[in-house]
Amino acid sequence: MFNLLPIAFWSDPAGSSALTGKIVFGLLLGVGLLFALTKVPTQMRRSIVFGGTFLSGLFYVLFYLWPQPITRGPNDVPRDAVEGVAFWLKDSFSVVVNFTQIISGFMLGLGVYSLLRIHLTRIAKGHKDAFFSFVLLGSMVAMAFFAYGDYILRLDPVKAQELENPDKWGPLTRGRDLLFDGLLQQMDAAMFSIIAFFILSAAYRAFRVRSVEATILLATALLVILSLMGLVADRVDGFFGGLVANDPNDFFENFKLTTLRNFIGDNLQTPSINGITLGTGIGALAMGLRIWLGLEKGSGN
Amino acid sequence: MSIANKLQTLPKTAIYGILILCTSLPLFFQIPLPNNPDQASKDFFREMMTLDASKPVLLSSDWTNSTRGESKGQMKSVLRMFMRRGQKFVLYSTADPQAPQVALDVIAEVNRERIKKNQEPYKRFEDYVVLGFFPNAEAAINGLANDFKATVKGRKDFPVGKEATDVFQSPVLKDVDSIKDFQMVVVVTASKTSNFTVERVYGKTKLAFAVTGVMGPETKVYYQSKQLVGFVNGLKGAFDIEQLMEKGLNVDSSASFRDDTHPAPVEGFKGDDNVGQGTRYFPTLHFAMALMIIMVILGNVGMVLAKKDSSKKELGGR
Repeated sequence: MFNLLPIAFWSDPAGSSALTGKIVFGLLLGVGLLFALTKVPTQMRRSIVFGGTFLSGLFYVLFYLWPQPITRGPNDVPRDAVEGVAFWLKDSFSVVVNFTQIISGFMLGLGVYSLLRIHLTRIAKGHKDAFFSFVLLGSMVAMAFFAYGDYILRLDPVKAQELENPDKWGPLTRGRDLLFDGLLQQMDAAMFSIIAFFILSAAYRAFRVRSVEATILLATALLVILSLMGLVADRVDGFFGGLVANDPNDFFENFKLTTLRNFIGDNLQTPSINGITLGTGIGALAMGLRIWLGLEKGSGN
Repeated sequence: MSIANKLQTLPKTAIYGILILCTSLPLFFQIPLPNNPDQASKDFFREMMTLDASKPVLLSSDWTNSTRGESKGQMKSVLRMFMRRGQKFVLYSTADPQAPQVALDVIAEVNRERIKKNQEPYKRFEDYVVLGFFPNAEAAINGLANDFKATVKGRKDFPVGKEATDVFQSPVLKDVDSIKDFQMVVVVTASKTSNFTVERVYGKTKLAFAVTGVMGPETKVYYQSKQLVGFVNGLKGAFDIEQLMEKGLNVDSSASFRDDTHPAPVEGFKGDDNVGQGTRYFPTLHFAMALMIIMVILGNVGMVLAKKDSSKKELGGR
């Protein structure tokens, strides 16, 4: 039933007035539900949030733990209740995934709402940083305007083919290109490249051989960095390669930079990461259980 | 100020200035560098070059221009291999809303290369399908792994010269029911989506990743456990793969381009446009790393000299 309902309800053709009406109805219903939730007495909120969290978590727990039939044909019917639940879980899975996608999509909308609320208030109150708020909102509106305008243009297949040629770009496509490819993408790369300056400055100021541990760390880092420098690695490996005379078991084989790097990676780095991953995994599992079962302090408040 | 102090307190502006010079000057020169490709890169190359062109590949593009130094070179090499081999692929993104457009820009770039060489460009919908962006990475990958058809249902793509059409009408997806119908999932990523993919997709089809340098160590864990058939790590990986595309594997006598674990020769695309960002940026990485080593040595020499000075003063004071 659960898996069939959305298909039947939302199966109107894209762009039809019936579907638009249903989307508006769904949106209003959602807003109404959210509004109703804000009016719920404080004592009941915890139960509602706990119930929602528990049911959401329960679905995935059952999906992974409930026994599933090895094979299932399109016309198969469940033989007993256990198989019935298994079929239901399998059929409902895509609905739950799509539901999660929609909620995540709404989170983008929530972010936009939050930005608008904060920055419009700043502009209205004449905050000392109101200029930056204005720039942020102006950039957001401009990007949305040009990108959506270009998208609408490209929905026409003939126009879309025409726009493959930059000589035929109009103001909307040019605007989108300038804002997205010309500004946003370049600023994105520029911001990330700043890390190089911080890393170099930090390495110079902080990477000192003040203790045995720091010396080991520094020596290991040096070996790995040198092994990544093709020219250095080639010369060092070539030198030791000449000494071992193609015998992979020769003692000097161990001094090749690539051998050392592989040793560090395979025997020191990977086991350490495995240990950390196991620890964080157990922590996440414990935290997940606490949230799911409503044991986390303050959950639901 | 003593030399020890000077060595320890070089002005930031000078350090930054030297870094800018070291990273930008090599870009103006062609500096050929020797290379010994990693085993993971060799495995990645071999698996990509031995794919069955009649079955599609699922390509996840989860990077934006913030990591283009590494990811774009990797993505371009992957696309060049796909297009030259006639490999159909399905593109999707889960990490960032910008990611699909960034990937489409690279596809257009590789297509322009093909047109220049009088080769047929890869056609959207016919040769590759774009599924677009899925906002929740973990749920999306979970859905794709467990019920591909239902998760993708309703998505449309734009065939050349036609209106938006259901993706399952594309020849690329005509025989696809589940993720097992893809012969490989290739993830070009700068985010956690690689971990989600291993967690959800491993065991259903082959996995190969192209990740940024900082993600290398955590990705190596999955490669060592044989959950990945190969992976390309950062700028070095991009350089490796470009070199392998030029020289092939087990083709010439060079020891660096031999793989004794799989001795069968794998031809590359000798003489074709194989050089990309990996080859161009690798000298820059060299200079940046050399500078880092020099700066760390300078700082430590300064510290040792300062210690000696202070111990001399202490002895003189007694």
